[in-house]
Amino acid sequence: MPEARGAGPVGRRSLAALVAGQLWRTPPALAGGVLLVVLYLFAALAPFLAPYPPAEMDRARFYHPPQALHWRGEDGRFRLRPFVYATAPGPGVFEYREDRSRSMPVRFLVRGARHRLLGLVPTDRHLLGVDAPARVNLLGTDPAGRDVLSRLLFGARVSLSVGLVGIAISFALGLLLGGAAGYFGGWVDALLMRSSELLLCIPGLYLIMALRTLFPAELPSGQVYLAIVAILALLGWAGLARVIRGMVLSIRQADYVTAAEALGMSRLRVIVRHVLPNTLSFVIVAATLAVPGYILGEVVLSFLGVGIQEPDASWGNMLQQARSLTVLTDFPWLLYAPGTAIFVTVMAFNFLGDGLRDALDPRRTGGEGRA
Amino acid sequence: MTRGPQAVWWGFAAGLALSAAAGGVAAQPLRTPMAETGVFGGRFVIGALSDAKTFNPILSNETSSSEVSDRLFTALTETDNLTRRNRPALATSWEVSRDGRVWTWHLRRGARFSDGHPITAADVLFSFAVAYDSTLHPSIYDLLSPHGRRIQVSAPDSYTVVMRLARPHALLVHAVGSLRILPKHVLEPVWRAGRFASSYGVGTHPDSLVTSGPWRLKQYVPHEKTVLTRNPFWFGVDARGRRLPYLDELVFAVVPDQTTCALRFEAGELDALDNVKAEDYRRFERGQPRGGYVVHRLGASLTSNFMWFNLNTVKRAGGRRPVGTPYADPVRHAWFSNRDFRRAVSMAVDREAIIRSVYFGEGAKSWSILTPGYGPFHDPAVTAPDHDPAGARRLLARLGFRDRDGDGVLEDARGNPVRFTLKTNAGSVRVQMANFVRDDLARVGIQCHVAAVDYNTLIVNMREDFDYDAILAGLGGAVPPDPAMCGNFYRSSGATHFWNVRQPRPETRAEARVDSLFDRLLLPGTLAARRALSSRIDRILNEECWLVWLPVMKVELPVRDRFGNVAPNLLPHRVLWNIETVFVKPRGRGAGR
Amino acid sequence: MRTFVLRRLLQLVPLLLAVIVLTFALLRAAPGDYVTTVAADPQVPTATLEAMRHRFGLDRPWPVQLGLYVRNLVLRFDLGESFSHHRPVAEVLRGAMLNTLLLALAGALLTWGLAVPLGAWAAARQGRAVDRSLSTLAFAGLAVPEVLSGLLLLMLAARTGWFPVGGMRSLDWDNLGPLARLADILWHLALPALVVALVPLAGRMRQMRSSLLDVLRLDYVTTARAKGLDERVVVLRHALRNALNPMITLFGYTLGSLLSGSLVAEIVFAWPGLGRVTYEALLARDQYLVAGSVLMATVVLVLGNLVADLLLAAADPRIRHA
Repeated sequence: MPEARGAGPVGRRSLAALVAGQLWRTPPALAGGVLLVVLYLFAALAPFLAPYPPAEMDRARFYHPPQALHWRGEDGRFRLRPFVYATAPGPGVFEYREDRSRSMPVRFLVRGARHRLLGLVPTDRHLLGVDAPARVNLLGTDPAGRDVLSRLLFGARVSLSVGLVGIAISFALGLLLGGAAGYFGGWVDALLMRSSELLLCIPGLYLIMALRTLFPAELPSGQVYLAIVAILALLGWAGLARVIRGMVLSIRQADYVTAAEALGMSRLRVIVRHVLPNTLSFVIVAATLAVPGYILGEVVLSFLGVGIQEPDASWGNMLQQARSLTVLTDFPWLLYAPGTAIFVTVMAFNFLGDGLRDALDPRRTGGEGRA
Repeated sequence: MTRGPQAVWWGFAAGLALSAAAGGVAAQPLRTPMAETGVFGGRFVIGALSDAKTFNPILSNETSSSEVSDRLFTALTETDNLTRRNRPALATSWEVSRDGRVWTWHLRRGARFSDGHPITAADVLFSFAVAYDSTLHPSIYDLLSPHGRRIQVSAPDSYTVVMRLARPHALLVHAVGSLRILPKHVLEPVWRAGRFASSYGVGTHPDSLVTSGPWRLKQYVPHEKTVLTRNPFWFGVDARGRRLPYLDELVFAVVPDQTTCALRFEAGELDALDNVKAEDYRRFERGQPRGGYVVHRLGASLTSNFMWFNLNTVKRAGGRRPVGTPYADPVRHAWFSNRDFRRAVSMAVDREAIIRSVYFGEGAKSWSILTPGYGPFHDPAVTAPDHDPAGARRLLARLGFRDRDGDGVLEDARGNPVRFTLKTNAGSVRVQMANFVRDDLARVGIQCHVAAVDYNTLIVNMREDFDYDAILAGLGGAVPPDPAMCGNFYRSSGATHFWNVRQPRPETRAEARVDSLFDRLLLPGTLAARRALSSRIDRILNEECWLVWLPVMKVELPVRDRFGNVAPNLLPHRVLWNIETVFVKPRGRGAGR
Repeated sequence: MRTFVLRRLLQLVPLLLAVIVLTFALLRAAPGDYVTTVAADPQVPTATLEAMRHRFGLDRPWPVQLGLYVRNLVLRFDLGESFSHHRPVAEVLRGAMLNTLLLALAGALLTWGLAVPLGAWAAARQGRAVDRSLSTLAFAGLAVPEVLSGLLLLMLAARTGWFPVGGMRSLDWDNLGPLARLADILWHLALPALVVALVPLAGRMRQMRSSLLDVLRLDYVTTARAKGLDERVVVLRHALRNALNPMITLFGYTLGSLLSGSLVAEIVFAWPGLGRVTYEALLARDQYLVAGSVLMATVVLVLGNLVADLLLAAADPRIRHA
């Protein structure tokens, strides 16, 4: 035991401290991490932050462009409370002009649709809005007059949770099965590796199309999608397991593992206590880098028409709606919103993952030596 | 469609002697009507979302195949898309006996297949034999069986075909016109050997694909393109007696993504699009002057959109459930069976909003599967309950639906919240429509959950397992656009009588009336009389409100302006129907690029 | 070595069987079959549908269909008929597979051709502006969904005319000389290959970077530097070759996934590849075509992994195969 701890790389607490320290020294990674915390907070608070329910249509405002917040009035004086100008349709189809004579102050904590804050506290307050019946669309509206900002926030709940659910399941399985395969070797290894090959051969798209039909039509498509991601992740351990197996194979030869075995530790204990933690740095990094895969995967599924279906919002189906020549030239805000959201999130995950990789790399922290 | 103008229809071409036919008989080329006499040469490239899967005209199941095979094979008659009348093709003329049961067709002399082999009555008989092959049972089998009975076809001589019917039928000429003529000398041995199903597939060598139409195959590259070139033996000629087609090549370029297809057209790599999203209409119209193309506005599409409620009941004894048990949840089935409930739903729907949002204003209301695109058969006087939310709320209140717990959703008299699931196929414009319906229904207190499911699942739901509350779908246009073609929909025994399919006998009096009116629609009659019949049928349907009608799209197609005789039309094929007369305008005559 | 290869190839047999059974089971899980898609057209009579089901053998219980399929496959290497294409599956797959391989290989070459030098450059300038901006650029490439980058590139092509708007060949390809044909295909290949290449680029570049960094820390490099060798010589002559070893293995694994992973590019760029064929077959429930495509992907995957393992063994003599 003592030998094992001494010879093994960094323990858990020092690891966390090291990571934090290293991240602090890598601004892009830190920025990525902070941004992700903010994004996930946005998603969690979506019903409160979003001015309107994501599927609520405004029949008078199809394809309404984003309304700019103003601080300076027509008279040129600065106002403490930002406001937007009212708009009226015209002159062309889906064209709107600002009515400079009618400014609508933006109010905070306005009353609107009822919701439960964080799923617990029932309330009808929303972060901001204008006096009803007027509406404010800071990011514009979509073809059905739905508020793009609200859809973006609600879509974040789907798009951001999908990756977390996916990696949580597939990495847990991948670690365990890959660890087992690498550690035990022999027929366990052969069986697990052959089944992982089998799973790698089944096209995920096909699986999704088959699975989608098995869920009752009454379920919201967001839930169906999460369930499918969970199932995919259940089957998606294969790729990771193969890598973990390779790592475990080499760690197994390490002195401290041999020592632990000699001391009569049970095999499971050896795996869990000594072998797996040494793959931890790889796993954390791989997980961080795998999340964007799920987000981008949802975009592809929406493109193929098998992703999250309206009226539920996701970044993928918002982007798919914007994938049109007319939208690109006439209504570009429909593209900017989901496009920026996806871009920023994926970049944040990558910078964080990259920073973590450097932080957890024993070679960069110096001294500890190579495992 | 009426008997008068088509009973005796002589071709223009009788006097034109182009080349002497075999055996010294004077050839009878077909003078093809066209706006302008053209010049030879050039190529026309049209974008296709999917490629042809077979060139066998009898067995093609998808438009991507039939739009090619229809150019390759001719028939006894063809439809003039502009007049919507039949005109001679392989048959120069035809006459019908007084009782409407014996039809005599006179075949064109000197007509040849693309290999030079003469086309005779034997080939017509062979094509009928294949169509009536009961092991293949091609789709055309039923179309060629007026009133459910096969036509007795015989050939007194090589250039005469006689058809005997048990009862006269309104669409006989159309039906005969949809049977493409196949070369007996090539395909009979194949058919006898039982290999017809795999004959004339896309793998066929272009030289061994013997065609009877204006075109023959030049090249097929899977998932890329199908290239047709002129059949040197085609019997169609222009006013100067020169053999058509004018163009050297007709290319179907496969571009699976609609957005890419539109871009490719803009880049000038395609000459026409057959499929444009309504949202891109404005863009194409704006681009007309410098783009070198013209956007043709064809009016309301033949494709209808509607939703219906599941009133299907168990039809066959011996299953888990007794005959007559509704498939839908009993509580919901009770609502759906109520005509006033269906009317209230129809009154809740804001069709104008759908037209503005989904179709960018380029849509039209339609209250029948006979959309405005059906021309003479569309009756503007046929309507159904339109948008009137207050009226819908009153109707629902009268049914005892009230919001008892103040949650914004109505409850029925027994306290069941009024909600149902509306299914539609994923990835289509109908999902957007369904979302408007959902929002509209919420405004009158009905909670509707939209479920976008795979196309196959939807088909299985509506035709086999009836596992749904309501479905939003539609019907593509019938060919020819005649209500008599829509028997599967109108008749209570039909497989696409969606709300209650395949009834052994009509379950309601209204459906019984529709059935008997429809039988009369199948008999020959004047256009006015048949139109009156179809209007009566539609009025009964709308009185019962079995279907909640939704708007249809207006069709616009861009075609390059350097081509002459281009006359896009709603009937299929919208662009290519007269492609053998299309030509490249000499420079100076058009705005050539 | 030979026994190792033979054993891996033998293991392919049960794997293929399992893949076939799974594919068939999945096909059964979703409602409807190929004929259902035809039934969507109300003009098609029910009797026609039944005749089709009978002709395609879809009216038999599915274990029987599966058994017949496996029998034909084993006895005659027959992959069956595609329902929708009315031709043998092997014929449908052959051309599409080649096209996909072309696109995927071009994408892979582009990825690796950029990743190796850029990754090496980043490693040599570790922590400096070059390093940072290169990784940011690579991440940006990854963060734009293919669906979007494809569309934007196509719009660029349509506006400028520098590239064709999708497709694999010009319409006049058949009339071109051999060199012009090659040039034509390369011209069409450029944009889709770029889209295919952008996704894995960031990962490969980072791998190359860290691989070279590892080597640069080794003793012999330090020795070389101590000898006063030019840093450029140290990196290019001494370190780079060793740093490439792990990359070669990775390239082997890339070979295994060549057939999958370009579906979006194929659809957006109208590239006539296997992904599109399989996707359309899935929608049409064209079961033998789907099964055939999955089988091909499996064979390529296993062979690719085998090559990767062999490369690994060749590159690192410490690893021996049991």
